[in-house]
Amino acid sequence: MSSAFCPVKRERLLRMAENIIETNGLTRNYGDICALKPLDLQIPEGEWLSVMGHSGSGKSTLMNLVGGLDRPSAGSLQVGGKDLLALNEDGLARFRREFVGIIFQQHHLVPYLTAVENVMMAQYFHSVPDEAEARHALERVGLGHRLKNRPGELSGGEQQRVCIARAIINSPKLLLGDEPTGNLDHKSTVMVMELLKELRAEERFTVVMVTHNQEVAGWGDRTIYLDDGVLVREERMR
Amino acid sequence: MLFRILKNSFLKRPKSVFLVFLSIAMGAAVATAFLGIAGEISHKMALELRSYGANILLEPSAVEGGGFLREEDLPKIKTVFWKYNITGFTPYLFGITEFSAGGKKERGVIAGTWFAKQLEVPGEEASVQGIKGIAPWWEVQGRWPENADEAIIGAALAKRLKIVPGGEVSALLKGRSQNFHVAGVVTTGGYEEEQLFAPLVTVQSLLQQQGKVSRVQVSALTVPMDDFGKKDPATMTKDEYEKWYCTAYVTSVAKNVEEVMAGSRAKPIWQIASAEGALLKKLNSVMLFLTILALGASAASVSTSLMASMAERSPEIALMKAVGADRFQISSIFIGETLIISVAGGIIGYLLGNQLAQVISRSVFNSTIASPLWLFPTAIISALVVAIAGSIAPLRRALLVEPVRVLKG
Amino acid sequence: MAIVYKMIPHILASFGIALVMFRGFSGRRSVVALTSIAGFVAGAAGAVVLFRVYRGTIPFGVIKTALGSGFLILWGVAVGVMYRSTGRGTAFIGGERFVDSSYYAGICTVISSMVAGAICMSRLPVADSSVLKVAVFVFGGGVLACGVVFAAKILEKRLPAAVTVTQSGMLAAVMAFLLMSSSSTLRLDLFSPLSMKVMKGIHDFVHQFMESILIPDHLFVQPVVWKYIGYLFGKGVGFWGGMIIWFTPVLLIVLANQLERLPSVAHVRQGAQRRKLIFAAIEARRFRLVIPMFSVIVFAAAAYQSSFPSVEYWDPKPVPVTANQAGEIFIPKQGEINLEDGKLHKFLFKQGGREAKFFVLMTPAGKLTVVLDACAICKPDGYGQAEGSVICYYCITLIPLETVGKPGGCNPVPISFTEKADGVIIDGMTLVNTWGATVQSTARVKEGGK
Repeated sequence: MSSAFCPVKRERLLRMAENIIETNGLTRNYGDICALKPLDLQIPEGEWLSVMGHSGSGKSTLMNLVGGLDRPSAGSLQVGGKDLLALNEDGLARFRREFVGIIFQQHHLVPYLTAVENVMMAQYFHSVPDEAEARHALERVGLGHRLKNRPGELSGGEQQRVCIARAIINSPKLLLGDEPTGNLDHKSTVMVMELLKELRAEERFTVVMVTHNQEVAGWGDRTIYLDDGVLVREERMR
Repeated sequence: MLFRILKNSFLKRPKSVFLVFLSIAMGAAVATAFLGIAGEISHKMALELRSYGANILLEPSAVEGGGFLREEDLPKIKTVFWKYNITGFTPYLFGITEFSAGGKKERGVIAGTWFAKQLEVPGEEASVQGIKGIAPWWEVQGRWPENADEAIIGAALAKRLKIVPGGEVSALLKGRSQNFHVAGVVTTGGYEEEQLFAPLVTVQSLLQQQGKVSRVQVSALTVPMDDFGKKDPATMTKDEYEKWYCTAYVTSVAKNVEEVMAGSRAKPIWQIASAEGALLKKLNSVMLFLTILALGASAASVSTSLMASMAERSPEIALMKAVGADRFQISSIFIGETLIISVAGGIIGYLLGNQLAQVISRSVFNSTIASPLWLFPTAIISALVVAIAGSIAPLRRALLVEPVRVLKG
Repeated sequence: MAIVYKMIPHILASFGIALVMFRGFSGRRSVVALTSIAGFVAGAAGAVVLFRVYRGTIPFGVIKTALGSGFLILWGVAVGVMYRSTGRGTAFIGGERFVDSSYYAGICTVISSMVAGAICMSRLPVADSSVLKVAVFVFGGGVLACGVVFAAKILEKRLPAAVTVTQSGMLAAVMAFLLMSSSSTLRLDLFSPLSMKVMKGIHDFVHQFMESILIPDHLFVQPVVWKYIGYLFGKGVGFWGGMIIWFTPVLLIVLANQLERLPSVAHVRQGAQRRKLIFAAIEARRFRLVIPMFSVIVFAAAAYQSSFPSVEYWDPKPVPVTANQAGEIFIPKQGEINLEDGKLHKFLFKQGGREAKFFVLMTPAGKLTVVLDACAICKPDGYGQAEGSVICYYCITLIPLETVGKPGGCNPVPISFTEKADGVIIDGMTLVNTWGATVQSTARVKEGGK
């Protein structure tokens, strides 16, 4: 009996060890400027990776490439077993909505939609909107009382939490944060990071977070340091 | 969700939505008005030009008939092939007589004619024929004659005889005389002002020419003369002749009328006939050209205002793309917006255009026009065309938005 | 060339039918290909036999009956799927298995392509042509069918795989194409008779069942009600009633598709996964809508075509008539031909090597007229009857029915006749002489013209 379950178990173990992101000589040039020098990077599934560096060090470029928002100039890029270079524009869009959740530094909500509608928009692009589920997601991030407010009526921390709810609504495998706490005070930053940690424990997504805040980077499992498009240092937290 | 997005986006940006709506409504209104009028205008203009006189003159052919046409043939004019194109006709019988009134004597022309004669033709609808219909520009001071011994007198002749409406005049010819009660004095601006117009029967008995008329004026709706129409029917092949006969050229209608009036020769009065055709053709193409121009202008203005709002909305588009919207989903949002605006604009434009057409028609032609049913779909379709033409460029721009660049920082 | 032009709607219809069949029975493409061609040829050959054996209206009646029953079946199926979409099961015993079999695919394809072939042949002069020519027609039809079927097969492979069609949608599309094909000929048209029947039915209903309240000054009938009763006698009632009957089945199929239940996703725990399943179902449903919606357009085209039969006019074959000893031709008002039905009836009179074609028509004013099938100026190509007018085939001039019987222009040349209570009497000599005089002056160029 137990032997019948054995292959399943082994496969799960194998998958756990699998890398969700694998880059090989990943390069991005903007004209003559080389934003990302050839980079080899592996991120195992379930890891929380912090990317640190000065502004212009190529950390946002890396995040955009991994999130399917931008295309590399050279090299190979596999995310979740998909070769992103082989996807066309609509394919990348599909990849983004099904696989990735993105949180930006500026909150980037649609100004004329309420909090719940902003979450539903992500559902709509993914498949079909489901208001109950969107409401539940906002309750999970502690905004159950702010459902019908438009972004202008929310504080910075609240807006960022709406973005988190939107990012996780389609159960992504990969959550990308581009300095998600860059505009927040210390108290809100801690709140947001705690929230992300909680959600990750429940949903088991991989996190790649770009930041220049050492404290924020400390929430992750591993930190890589980029400088001028080159990986200069790597630090394992736990 | 799509409708929720659209609704909120409309409510949030009422000004730019209104601008686009206005351009589309204007375009649709102009198209409705111009096309509505263009449809009516040929008819209206033809009638208008018709008021400058008859365009076919029937005279006795020199060789036969002894210089007269037969009155009994007249109803046949309403039974010919082109009868529906013949809007009116009136016979004349002319004679030179001695007029006397209040001791004054003048030699002058007496014309027997129909003023407004009820004409019953078996198998046809009854109609009213006569000068009143064929020469509506005659200004009669007084009233039109109603009885056999009533007449209207040309203004110049009346002046010489010093006659006012209500007076009496007698016509003398070879010892016979006929008294007329002058019902009105007519101003025409032409040679008719030297004549006295009396009912045909009375003049026939005065001239001893019972049942005869000397000429008939026919007013017909015709198609513009082209090179083919100007060809001499005598030199045509059988095929050409048939085509010519079956086209409402003024010549073929004239020929048609000539066939039923024994011993007659029909002459088109060229000036009016050709001017009319050419003018109508030009007018219609001008209308069409103006319509296209107006639609183009409103498409351009839709494009500009959408383009402007697109620049303002590019963060929103970038965000949607980042969240995972593909090109189809982005397009459906923006096309959905323009479609809703354009349908609303089309309906409002139709209503406005209809009013505009009425106003133009009232001020130019002094009459109302019937608005045909096809104008409504035309208005909606032209609104859609304007909207689609105007949103191609903005949509392309929206699809080219790169989230990475717009969302940075 | 004219034949090719005439065949365009039929070719399009056959193409559409084959396309839908291939998609509908996508597992059995070879069966569909084979049976479409075979069915088309069989239908064409059958129609030829019918047309040659029974002249006149019987073959048309047969095709019309086939079309009519197809339309009734469509109605039944539409009501069925509508019923099923409400969640009440109507499983037939063994039905599902039969629907999946290649027999079913073959039978459906054969029947529909047979009707298509028969309609095609009804447009060709198969009844009067030589056997060889008819054989060429049938053979050509077969070759054409092969071409059309293979073209459809190629196109079908290029259609997005997501576009699927249900059995009811397939039936709707096939019927739409057949009706479009048939409505281009006046004698196979179903829509006009349908609206006529509707009008008559409604009028009869009002007369039969509302007689009591139709008595003027009835106590219970308010003037407002009279206004609405008046609508039932309006001109449009037949047309709009016909429209409703015409479009309802396919619209029901569309509606049933939209009412179809979405899959149950309660067992899926993850919200995103659940939504994806629902979305997939909705999208599949949307794609299944493509063909029924397209059928609505084709149905509309058929109705439009039937209200404006652009190519064909009422033009019966001239019936030969003879004169009695006195040289008079007597045509009875009633009998095989009803002279007073408002349609033109053509006759052919031959006497001593001379002949004359003429027709008898009751004008809308209720007056019988006898005129030559030729006018004073055109070549004697004859006339056909259209809505409210007759048309001179030669110069394509429409002549209002009211003016038939009056001389001049392109009007047919009138013939003097005597009207009796039971028929009309025409002098044979006058007829032949008038024809001679008219045609002599116009037919000179008959061969050399154009």
